[in-house]
Amino acid sequence: MWTLIVSSLGFGVVLASIIAVAAMGFTVQLGLTNVLNLSYGAVMTVGAFVAYLAVSFKLNAWLAMVLGGLAGSLLTLVLGSGVFKMFARRGAHLFEMVMVTLGLSLIIEYAVQAISRDNIYQFVVLQSSSIVVGPIIISVTQLVLIGVALAIFAALEVLLRLTKLGKALRAMAVDPSLARSCGIRTGQIVTITWLLTGFLCGIAGVIYVINSQSVDYYTGQLFLPLVIAAAILGGVGSPAGAFVAALIMGIVTQVVSALGGSAYSTVAGFGILVVVLLSRPSSVTGTSAGAAQLTL
Amino acid sequence: MGSWSFYISTLVVYFGVDLLSGWSLNLQYGFAGVINFAYIVFQAAGAYIAATVVIGPSGGATSFQQYVFGARLPFPLPLVLAAAAGAAMSLLIGLFSLRRIRRDYQAAIMLIVSLIAIQVVSSDVGLFNGSNGVTGVPRPLYAALHVSTSSWQWVFAAWTLVICAGVYALIQWLSNSSWGHALRAMRDQEDAASAIGLNITALRLQVFVIGGAIAGLSGGLLVEYVGAWSPGAWGYAETFVVFTAIFVGGVGNNRGVAIGVLLVPIIFLEIPRFLPQIGYPGLIDSLQWIAIGAMWLLCLYIRPKGLLPERRPIARREPDPGVAGSLAGPARPGRRIAAVMRGQGR
Repeated sequence: MWTLIVSSLGFGVVLASIIAVAAMGFTVQLGLTNVLNLSYGAVMTVGAFVAYLAVSFKLNAWLAMVLGGLAGSLLTLVLGSGVFKMFARRGAHLFEMVMVTLGLSLIIEYAVQAISRDNIYQFVVLQSSSIVVGPIIISVTQLVLIGVALAIFAALEVLLRLTKLGKALRAMAVDPSLARSCGIRTGQIVTITWLLTGFLCGIAGVIYVINSQSVDYYTGQLFLPLVIAAAILGGVGSPAGAFVAALIMGIVTQVVSALGGSAYSTVAGFGILVVVLLSRPSSVTGTSAGAAQLTL
Repeated sequence: MGSWSFYISTLVVYFGVDLLSGWSLNLQYGFAGVINFAYIVFQAAGAYIAATVVIGPSGGATSFQQYVFGARLPFPLPLVLAAAAGAAMSLLIGLFSLRRIRRDYQAAIMLIVSLIAIQVVSSDVGLFNGSNGVTGVPRPLYAALHVSTSSWQWVFAAWTLVICAGVYALIQWLSNSSWGHALRAMRDQEDAASAIGLNITALRLQVFVIGGAIAGLSGGLLVEYVGAWSPGAWGYAETFVVFTAIFVGGVGNNRGVAIGVLLVPIIFLEIPRFLPQIGYPGLIDSLQWIAIGAMWLLCLYIRPKGLLPERRPIARREPDPGVAGSLAGPARPGRRIAAVMRGQGR
């Protein structure tokens, strides 16, 4: 049984790095704009499909990844600065915005279904051999994906801690109106947030399908629960927290799956979030006075 | 004429089931303010329970279909159990998601519950036969009544409407009672309601469970009519159809919900049946979902209160008789409540 658990650790770390990229984007988005963007999964699917199209046009896999990220970026910008802002101007509150994002998720997801004719497409790129380390079997591709996640994490941390833009992002996440008074161009920062987190979202979608080797219209939505759970578990707005939480989610999911409960793996991951929320409610309670405001 | 009879009686049953769905979601969202994106899970729970207590014991992993439970209960019992299943499911989910939690997080958690529920039921084949679902649910009272298929459909349609009438009476009574007023207080001014001593969590749980019971009942009715139930029938998007219906018709207003249910699932979603085939098969289904999402957004943007907004029973003091002539006008909702408060009843 121990070999089973240790080998599932390997799978867990791979899954964790995929969740981490998505969760980092989600947590930055939620932390800064306070929009719980449930269309994140649909944008991931779009990024994955753009990469699929790029690969079918014989483009390099890395280029496909970047293109998928750019597609996610563009789509998130359109949604964020376009649709969300429209509703925010109409006086939407936090939860009304969630409903808007869910409606958009529906539209995007089924538009993808319509265009993709509801088929499942094989997505095989970066084929490589497997490395065996004890009971852990991992392919070179998966190691590369872990590397990509770590690189993104490092880049994000550098951005947030060492650059002026990062300082502005962190300031806005804490107190937008104070940031504005300090001369930070909040409108610009929000736009940059949409672009940045959309890029991460698109890349996460591409990474996911590189690992799962198939893509269909439901891909992103399938993945969304773990992403949201990791983002909230790690503390909203903290990419490092999201990374750690993603590790927890990935490993727990795979271990439960290996121990025979593959149907309940996502439940286990989500269960962790529920336990943490119930025991540490201060992170998510809000009074009806609306402690958090939309920043759009 | 035969096929029209089949179609119309089916539509009536669907209308009844969607009415129950709309009212139950309206209870949960419109009156208690819980954004229940997991609504369809409660309907599914009711449907699965109603099915598995009627089709006899499961044959195990090797047989045609396998599931938990398994019995052969006579007519109204499956519906009662379906309602109980919906209530139990909503109690379970409510216990961990109805804390004093930020409403957008709560909504996201509900959505995740819906997504996970589908994953679990589809993957765990021993539970409810996985993606294939359970079939072979016999028609209630079909043998006992000795009627033809089409007549039975009309009988069932009538039965559905009877249940709807009963549930409507129940909901109106609850809504106009002091419990209903407490719910509205909790929804509109949670801190003030809590300050005057209302137990917010208990109230939320109560309305959530009652809504869940009605949802389970609707699922039981649907599965008894259709005869089968599988994960394809309860994706997370199905909750959306009901939400759109109550938003179009009027959140918080049961009559408005009825109009919304007529417009959205019945009229709007049935129109494509009469359109010529465009594109590849299944394109129209995708376009329908896109249209529902678009309608939802449009509704939220233009008229979030719906066609028939909620009638707020606000107590007003009756005007001085001398001024009454000019103020008489059309009856205002406040009048009835004011009369009740003066002890004159309706």
